[in-house]
Amino acid sequence: MNNNISHNVLEVNNLTVSYGNRKILDNVTFNVKSQEIRVILGPSGCGKTTLLKTILGLLKPTSGNVKLFGKEISDIEAVDSFNILKQIGVLFQNGALLGSLTVYENVALPLVMHTKLPERLIKEIVNLKLSSVGLSHAANLLPEELSGGMRKRAALARALALDPPLLFCDEPSAGLDPVTAAGLDELLLSLRQKLSITIVVVTHELASIKKIADKIIFLYSGKVLFDGILSDAENISNGPVFDFFHRMVNSLENNFSTYHSFFNVEQLA
Amino acid sequence: MRTIIKMPKEIKREWIQTKGKDILFSKYSEPPILDLSETTSIDSSGIAFLFFIAKQYTGKKEKVTLRNATPQIISAISAFGDLKEEKLDINAPKEHFFLHIGNYSILCFNTLINALSMFAEIFYWASAGLLKKRDIKKGAIEQQMFLMGYKAFTVVSVLSFLVGIVLALQAAMQLELFGAGIYLAPMITISMIKELGPLLTAIILAGRNGSAITAEIATMKVGEEIDALRTMGINPVQFIIAPKFFSFSVVMPLLSVAATVFGLLGGYLVAIFYLNISANLFLNEMIKNVALKDVFANFIKSEVFSWLIVWIGSYHGFRVKGGADAVGRETTASVVTGIFVIILADAVFSFIL
Repeated sequence: MNNNISHNVLEVNNLTVSYGNRKILDNVTFNVKSQEIRVILGPSGCGKTTLLKTILGLLKPTSGNVKLFGKEISDIEAVDSFNILKQIGVLFQNGALLGSLTVYENVALPLVMHTKLPERLIKEIVNLKLSSVGLSHAANLLPEELSGGMRKRAALARALALDPPLLFCDEPSAGLDPVTAAGLDELLLSLRQKLSITIVVVTHELASIKKIADKIIFLYSGKVLFDGILSDAENISNGPVFDFFHRMVNSLENNFSTYHSFFNVEQLA
Repeated sequence: MRTIIKMPKEIKREWIQTKGKDILFSKYSEPPILDLSETTSIDSSGIAFLFFIAKQYTGKKEKVTLRNATPQIISAISAFGDLKEEKLDINAPKEHFFLHIGNYSILCFNTLINALSMFAEIFYWASAGLLKKRDIKKGAIEQQMFLMGYKAFTVVSVLSFLVGIVLALQAAMQLELFGAGIYLAPMITISMIKELGPLLTAIILAGRNGSAITAEIATMKVGEEIDALRTMGINPVQFIIAPKFFSFSVVMPLLSVAATVFGLLGGYLVAIFYLNISANLFLNEMIKNVALKDVFANFIKSEVFSWLIVWIGSYHGFRVKGGADAVGRETTASVVTGIFVIILADAVFSFIL
């Protein structure tokens, strides 16, 4: 477990991702320090998932670079990226459990593929991981037999199988009821405290952000509009950041004025 | 003089489909007045109906008037409202002809490079790389052999048998006219062993196994399982494709032999029962025409066809972008491409073997 809280675990430098003429990410720059819970947020379509996938090396940036633990991860297939990948865990939006493997086999997969530990010890480790997410009873179930919340927890156990110092979560609360979502947030906080890991969460759920974020990055149309602590973001008085946190429903006002531009309304006695 | 149109109690889809259509497409010299004094309810079709009429008179001095609408109706109209009309660019931008040819050529070249690169990766992990792999599940290769081989045995055998019968029957009808029925034996034997056995097996399995591979990979891609493997440092080609490639390479020649035997059986039955040729005589003629080089050709073709099926199935699976419709599209493309490439390869083999 990493006890150093001063260095940058993740550095994103001038990252731009374009498809043709369309910029999905525009010159994104930020750092994440060790043992921080950093939340990347923004309205739907702002580029959050593209940013996450580019950081993980699943998408190639048009320009800029990403450094994980001080090393540039330019191509996830390259041999030198392999050692970096073992230090990160990823919780995908829908869990992304392998459908043909049981929960046990899914969680054991990184241990089987990347370690030479004996099978019986792997079994113990997997049981530990499953109990830490409250899924000891579900080891022999297939992913299709799990609820949405259980799938996310199983995927979280798998992401933590190799005790990575850095965890990425893509919309962890998506599709979950508020109670289950709150339970998952508590789990992330507890894991950070017990395992001293750094967590980067991509989400647009205000309740989660308020509960878990140490610092936030607000993304809007692919640009970083705010990078700092949550309370400072909430004090911004105008613009997309203000709209997001104060849930301004501008669309209804626009509709009202549009309707008036098409009709006269009159009342005759 | 503005026309006053009395609107019904319910401005909803049912009314619009019947009586409302006439009002919808009527053109008035001045924006009409819509009398909503009797209207008590409206749905989204009704609101769209009102906006449709109003938009026909944009630019005029007057607007369409909503008269005596209740507060509830006004509230419903304003709640839905109307977004700015954006011109939808339905037609793709026209590309200069030579630019289009150039872009298409580059796309084809890149596709070929990517596909060949994938084949090299699959071949490596299915041969030398297989020794490095530690199975997550014991018996994964055996399971693939069972699914891709044993479970395909019935369909391959039955279809080959029927093709053997049909081919032999058509040939027998012509040969009988010349009293040359016995020549059915070499015809059926050589064509089955050298050509139809491996080709028929490959075409059937391109549809069965090729589509299954594509659908599996594509579904995993859409569900982010491929991304999950990559972020765990696990090569999806090594983990998923290599066992299939190896297994299919083993079972395909066996299935080809089975198809050949059942095809020959079909021909044999036609000779015995249609041409009334002696069973021993026909069998001896068949055996006389079994050449080692033809058996060798059967094996080589079936082996290469198995590689093509897994390669093309995997390539189309990894290409998927989007949702369920993309999975369907790539699965279809995988079968079509697979069959096309197999027949093309068979034509090439005809010159070599």
